[in-house]
Amino acid sequence: MHIPDGFLTLVLCAVMYAITILFLIIAFWRTNRILSEKQIPLMATLTAMFFTAQMMNYPIIGGTTAHLLGGPILAITLGPYAGLISMTIILLIQALFFGDGGVLTFGANVFNMGVVGTFIPFLVLFAFLKVKPNRNSLLIGGFLGAFLGDLGAAVAAGLELGLSYPTFPYGVSIALTAMVIHHSIIGIIEGVATLVILLTLHKARPDLLSLKRVAPIITGDLPPLMEGK
Amino acid sequence: MQNKYKLIITGFVVAVIFIVVGVILLGFANETLDVIAELFGAPEWEVWLPPLPDYELPGFEGNLLTNFIIGIAFAALILVLTFFIGWLVTRRRAKG
Repeated sequence: MHIPDGFLTLVLCAVMYAITILFLIIAFWRTNRILSEKQIPLMATLTAMFFTAQMMNYPIIGGTTAHLLGGPILAITLGPYAGLISMTIILLIQALFFGDGGVLTFGANVFNMGVVGTFIPFLVLFAFLKVKPNRNSLLIGGFLGAFLGDLGAAVAAGLELGLSYPTFPYGVSIALTAMVIHHSIIGIIEGVATLVILLTLHKARPDLLSLKRVAPIITGDLPPLMEGK
Repeated sequence: MQNKYKLIITGFVVAVIFIVVGVILLGFANETLDVIAELFGAPEWEVWLPPLPDYELPGFEGNLLTNFIIGIAFAALILVLTFFIGWLVTRRRAKG
């Protein structure tokens, strides 16, 4: 999922940096207004956990591997804007220290995994809970949100690669097909992992899930995840 | 023990488990993009030379202990960094 340097055109890199910086400005502004001090340990813990979770590469198709993103659970527990900040920290460390994802493509990688990978899961779960705020909506919406979040991030990466002719001269169809097929499998694992963490938190620390999330102004916070224990 | 410390310790224990599993069992990475690039000969640019390429210390490639230490050290760094950023954000609000 991490796009290395050299795969995207410089123009596209610049455009993706601009879009991502815009999202980050809004994210810091919203987080500054909403994030509670009580949520900081959860944010730090989940960020560290998903950095290590990304070190585990699961074999998928044709000898390739993929890893969890972590965006969905960050978005559902803290809100997509706080999730974006967490993902940016992870991706920055990975790019600077490990060469996992490029420096020029950093904006695109943050957009794919930090923006698309957090907003889709949040919005999907929001829609499910808005229609019917019960346990089934949480489970289905949480799983589907995580799955679609990973898929969305893969689609975004595939489109960026496909649009990067002649730097990546194989067209949208090859890039998009490969990314979507491969990442739909990891999306299922991400969905299961999201549900496991969500249900564990609900059982052990329901107070953390009832705190206000750093959500978009248009939607507002998620409806209560589940009534009672 | 305060709830927040319990949360951090639990999270860090899970992170250590992820590192152990990642280093020993699931360390081999062959991402889709790398495969496509190799298949079609797309060149990767060396714009930035990372100090620990592919999560390994140069000269100690394949050394499980070194990889484990790198994982722990950077998980701790990210924990502290995120705490600091979170603290900075909420502190600025308190001042404002």
